[in-house]
Amino acid sequence: MLNPAAPGFWTDRRVERLLGAVACLVLLLIGGMIAFVFSKAWPSFAHNGLAWFGSGGDVDRQLEDIFSSPSNPSDYVYELHAWSLIWGTFVVTAGAVLIGIVFSLLAAIFIVEFAPPRLARLLEPVVRLLAAVPSVVYGLIGILVIVPWVGEHLISLERKESVANVIQLNGSSLGVGILILTIMIVPIMIAIVVDALRAVPGSWTEGASALGVNRWRVTWSIAVRTARPAVVAAAVLATARALGEAIMLSMVSGSASFAPNPIDGITFLFEPTRPLASALVENVEGLTVVPFGQTLFAFAAVLLVSSMFLSLAGFVAKQSMRRYGVQP
Amino acid sequence: MKRTRLLAAAAALALCAPLSAATAAQAATITMSGSTSIAPLATKLAKAFLKTPKGKGNKVVILQGGSDIGINDVSHGRVTLGMSSRDPKPADPGGIVFNKIARDAVCIVSNASNKIPTLSQSQIQDVFSGRVRSWSQVPGATASGPIDLVVRTAASGTQDAFQNIFMGQTLRVAASATTKSSNGLQAQTIKSDPNAIGYASFAFTGGLHTIPYQGVPCTLRNAKSGQYAGSRNFFLVSRGAAKGLAKAFITFTRSSAGQAIVASDWVPLH
Repeated sequence: MLNPAAPGFWTDRRVERLLGAVACLVLLLIGGMIAFVFSKAWPSFAHNGLAWFGSGGDVDRQLEDIFSSPSNPSDYVYELHAWSLIWGTFVVTAGAVLIGIVFSLLAAIFIVEFAPPRLARLLEPVVRLLAAVPSVVYGLIGILVIVPWVGEHLISLERKESVANVIQLNGSSLGVGILILTIMIVPIMIAIVVDALRAVPGSWTEGASALGVNRWRVTWSIAVRTARPAVVAAAVLATARALGEAIMLSMVSGSASFAPNPIDGITFLFEPTRPLASALVENVEGLTVVPFGQTLFAFAAVLLVSSMFLSLAGFVAKQSMRRYGVQP
Repeated sequence: MKRTRLLAAAAALALCAPLSAATAAQAATITMSGSTSIAPLATKLAKAFLKTPKGKGNKVVILQGGSDIGINDVSHGRVTLGMSSRDPKPADPGGIVFNKIARDAVCIVSNASNKIPTLSQSQIQDVFSGRVRSWSQVPGATASGPIDLVVRTAASGTQDAFQNIFMGQTLRVAASATTKSSNGLQAQTIKSDPNAIGYASFAFTGGLHTIPYQGVPCTLRNAKSGQYAGSRNFFLVSRGAAKGLAKAFITFTRSSAGQAIVASDWVPLH
């Protein structure tokens, strides 16, 4: 009776129910994942309270103590002040996204408005290709080429000695992390902004051109203004990728759980830092030690919540621009 | 990186005996997981074991993951034997037995350009704990400027061994140290930084200068003779006393034939 091969079987109603079930499964999956991560992470938050997010002590050492906890569950060590990891995540992500927005906007404007058609036809697929390069490839180039080069040529002996009692500078640094992360996220941002600029109604820009305004001002004041929601969308997507980037950053910047200090001037950029995602992936070997595993899940929970807030913030930001905007 | 290594190991290390040699009823499988430092040795031992009369017709599957994963797996009965390159810890699950099968040398290593003639235990403690922070204070060092410590993350078996052998229970590695999550990344960092010093299992010291410890070079020969003091234990961990095929395998690894295989790249027990 129920024969999926029969011609009349796939009625609209059946299809709707089936697809609805698949979509609801996604919701269920996300809900389950959040519940699981938080239930695993809870002991770490409960023992530390708000101090979890504060500073104090050395995170690597605290992790070591957690890892070598005694066997009795009531004696488990949980003390952790993860500020240096959170600060590292923030600085690397913010740095890369801010530089990325400027770069990608200018590059997209060039591709859409100024580039000769033949060049644009070449640039666009190349940009899309770059967006698909796996991050570990960037990490390898970073650790084999850029990090040693920076350590040897950009960091002077005096600079190394000036902070030697606090932290080692060997090239693996915040600056290199931001640089490579920017290279990683820019292509995807360019691709999104290009699509949005292409979607700006031709009559709008033509109207402005007819009034004698030059091409740059037409682009800047009409096309870019109209495409603002797309720029926000690109920034949100890039931030999400940057937040979750673990392998590459652990290779090029994460040589110590250190909170780089902006007061140090240029040295700031040469100081190492380890974002949350990198700390997670570097310590995963100890996942089986119960309190250590719970601490790692706490890292995951913080990342999960920040990416949720990120999507929310992006949504809110786009609302106010909606009236004159085009959606990508 | 870690994940790719795990997958590769899982895919590559299924050692099967020729099927014709066994009937299905007799064949048994030993599964192992744990330390990446032991895996190459375990693979060699398993190959030889499957050729012995007792091992013939059976199967050995070796997975990796790190000492703690092996210990945890075996305590939950997910594998027959866990591989651990660190000594038992108070926090380890109860009811498991550590069977020592070999020893391994842990070397202190520096960049190949910095040929330090020797370090004593107290010098190593001074350098790694951060009491001495400049190469000018280390006799015989050809590097100049600050000392860059390159060590492993907390969950590493080599880290644990270094702590126990060289640092003792009270001293800790300086907080400014660079910590790396794998042997490869650590070696690469030391190779590219002339001011670096670190530690590594003997099998991972290629391309680096191994620093003699208390005047004794870190070579396989010195470790075997017992002159080199910096060595750690390799264990096969069983749930309760090993039984059946697992017991036969452990007995084989401790026999003269098994220890001859150990001697190819590691330090035999006797």
